[in-house]
Amino acid sequence: MNKLVMNFLVTEGYVEAAEKFQMESGTEPDIDLATITDRMAVKKAVQSGNVEDAIEKVNDLNPEILDTNPQLFFHLQQQRLIELIRNGKIEEALEFAQEELAPRGEENQSFLEELERTVSLLAFEDVSNCPVGELLDISQRLKTASEVNAAILTSQSHEKDPKLPSLLKMLIWAQNQLNEKAAYPRINDLSNATLEDPTV
Amino acid sequence: MPSATVNKPRPSELLSRLTSAEPEVKVRALREVKNQIIGNRTKKLSFLKLGAVPAVAGILADSIDDVTENNNCNNTNNFLVQSAAALGSFACGFDAGVQAVLDAGAFPNLLRLLANPNEKVVDAVARALRMIYQSKLAPKYDFLQQKNMEFLISLLNSEKETVSGLGASIITRSCETNLEQKALFDAGILRKLNSLLEGGSLSQRDASLESLATVFRNNPEVISKFAGPEIGRPLSSIIDLAKDRYPRTRLLACMCLIVIRNASPHFLQDIGIKTKLIHILLELLDDPGQVGDEAPFAFSSLIAQKEDLQKLALEANAIDKFHHHIKKGSLHPRRYEGILLALADMCSKLESCRTKFLSLQAKPSQSLEPFKALASNGIHTATKPKPSSSRDQELMLASFVLNLVADALTDYNAGVRAAACICLKSVTRSIQKLSAGYFMNETIVIPLVQLFLDPSTSVQVAALGATSNIVVDFTTSKSIFVQCGGMKQLIQLAKSMESSVRSNALWALKNFVFQADNRLKEGVFSELTASLLSSLIRDPEPSVQEQALALVRNLVDGCINLIEFVFAEDGLILGAIGRQLQCASKAEIGIQGMYALCNVASGNEFHREAVMQLLFTQMGDKNQSFVVKFLQSNDSQLRTATVWTIVNLTCPSSPGAPCRLEKLRNAGIVSQIKNMVNDPCVDVKVAIFFIFRISPCENSARAIYGFRGQLSMSVFIHYSEYKRQEILKQLVFQSSSPLFF
Repeated sequence: MNKLVMNFLVTEGYVEAAEKFQMESGTEPDIDLATITDRMAVKKAVQSGNVEDAIEKVNDLNPEILDTNPQLFFHLQQQRLIELIRNGKIEEALEFAQEELAPRGEENQSFLEELERTVSLLAFEDVSNCPVGELLDISQRLKTASEVNAAILTSQSHEKDPKLPSLLKMLIWAQNQLNEKAAYPRINDLSNATLEDPTV
Repeated sequence: MPSATVNKPRPSELLSRLTSAEPEVKVRALREVKNQIIGNRTKKLSFLKLGAVPAVAGILADSIDDVTENNNCNNTNNFLVQSAAALGSFACGFDAGVQAVLDAGAFPNLLRLLANPNEKVVDAVARALRMIYQSKLAPKYDFLQQKNMEFLISLLNSEKETVSGLGASIITRSCETNLEQKALFDAGILRKLNSLLEGGSLSQRDASLESLATVFRNNPEVISKFAGPEIGRPLSSIIDLAKDRYPRTRLLACMCLIVIRNASPHFLQDIGIKTKLIHILLELLDDPGQVGDEAPFAFSSLIAQKEDLQKLALEANAIDKFHHHIKKGSLHPRRYEGILLALADMCSKLESCRTKFLSLQAKPSQSLEPFKALASNGIHTATKPKPSSSRDQELMLASFVLNLVADALTDYNAGVRAAACICLKSVTRSIQKLSAGYFMNETIVIPLVQLFLDPSTSVQVAALGATSNIVVDFTTSKSIFVQCGGMKQLIQLAKSMESSVRSNALWALKNFVFQADNRLKEGVFSELTASLLSSLIRDPEPSVQEQALALVRNLVDGCINLIEFVFAEDGLILGAIGRQLQCASKAEIGIQGMYALCNVASGNEFHREAVMQLLFTQMGDKNQSFVVKFLQSNDSQLRTATVWTIVNLTCPSSPGAPCRLEKLRNAGIVSQIKNMVNDPCVDVKVAIFFIFRISPCENSARAIYGFRGQLSMSVFIHYSEYKRQEILKQLVFQSSSPLFF
């Protein structure tokens, strides 16, 4: 159980919590906690919209990640463009799209569709109300941040997803299966995990 | 308009800062270059052209000097890390970059830096070297030198993943010969790799699998030593990894097992492991990334040339699965190519696979497409047709999947186009489907003929291969092919600069005229011209000579008028045949040439006399006539062809026969043939029988037992002279059966 918790804290990047937990429970983290700090700095930079900074940090951590991950690199460049548009720097955005994004489409045809979607943001006066407006959502930043996080974890030979959510999913599935076959005390509320007796 | 990049220096400006005297400026510029090129192939190329690589390599070299002089440590390390990372990025997946790094002399410096005390420096350097070793351009590592082997072992023994990973990639890249493989085994490298398999991290396991596969390749001795006394335990760790949770590991493990299977008949031969491998690879197709792209290639290496595996794969619904993936569309070109090649391998030998492939359905939205194909087969399609017969239904179904292949023929990627042709070549080996006219339609023929003009030679050759099969079409007319200019294109290609294109074009022409009607043959010949054909017979490449002679053989087969071809323009072609047979460099040339002469000699007296003269041009020389040489050849087909030619020359119904027989006797040819009565090859004996009917001999007759499923000897003797002549005439038209690609 402790290992599960540690695995969750480490994968999601809660460094201080992981350190504290290590001290209190004696559980060894399966990854060097120092690397977590670096990884979290990258994630935070993307979540704040500082994509250029994030890219530099990833490259300091491991230059291979972006060099061997064309999809991730494209998404980061895409996010840069989105941030430029969000900040109203339209001229700069245009130039960036031409110099940096267009070559990605040339190098790899599968990016063309998404490239066109992103560039079409430039065509709209009121970007928050256009068909591709969801690209400006914070959720887009989170998506990109999560992608970078996963890539860093994989490069460190660590699994990119924490085990805990999958286990909870399995618990729910198992209970659903069991529902049809038996009456048993089950967990209905995951947040307090109390065992409730079966309704008679 | 304000420049958006007013804060961003131009590349040339950046480069000049690399040589700045101020370390701060220099290191910032270096870092900026590195960050601009990582992931960005376009930038790598533009910085390369500006000469960035020698500049960065220079910084690396200077920093090494600083290390030795113990100058400012932190700064120096920073320079080392950044320059190594930049060089590594130039080399990453970019051959021009690798070449530039090597040319700039950075390689030995990088190697030295592996011993640097700073971890970050070692990491950066090891990564850079690994990028270089992933390229074909990497310098060859000499494993056979003791100190090199020791260095390699030290790399593999390192705690650092980046360093042990470098060791593995050196092996994967540089180990080529059996000698090197054995040397690695003897040095205990395999044991080390095996321990990384069992106890290492994910990347160490993957790197190990690749290296092991390289050491095992085509080396049954090393494999059996590795699997040796622990009776399959090391192999079982690889087998376990084939079921690992990570797709890339599963793929690499499968590839390693396939290498072992293919090299050694003793290991991994049971049906359990065969089925397992097939299922794992088919399941890996679902991976959306590079693993899924490479899986079909691994699948091909498993099943190629192996009927038992193709059968198992058919039962595992491999063809459906591949088809399902192609239907999805927007495939990465590598994946598309791989799947087409895997389908080609599946259909290469088994008719059941080809039938399965041609019976696949397409998506409902594609239902209109096939009718284009049907229309050209003469089936009326005013409204949506209800197939009236099962044959029509079959044709319609087949055209669904052929549309998929036809799409691939026009893909923008050359590898995909070539793979589509190779797939078509496999499928068109089906004589049954060829006879039913499945392939001679616009959907296939038009794009295929367009590929004759493809900029890529390999695509041209592959298209010619598929064409060679398709034009062997017994029942439907070949007019579609002629109408879309296919025949003329083939003749153009026979003049290509590339010998492989010439010989394959001739092959296709040879099949095209096989048992074709006279008009078609005359059309080919007049387009081809005697002078071109004779120069092709005399081509510098043996493979071209062979196909040209085979083409003549098929052209003159059948009707006497066609034999006149070889006499055109003062007997250009006949002369070329004679000269080529004098100096035939391989048996196949002799075979085709002799059968061509055989067919000429099946004409009239004039033809026979001309052939006779050709055979005896060398008489009186110290050189034997090539006839005797051919009769004494190790190649049974060559002996057979030569005997048949002589049969035709001595055919009893012709007035000049006794005279020719006398000449042959004087040249020692008849006695040579008499010595061949007990030839080990049945075909030779059959042919000889027909010579000795002139002077029948009981012994020689009894020596022949039934021939070619046509008649038994004893029955034949009872036929009238007239009947025997008729059968004889049929047999002497020795047409070339089309050799399927």
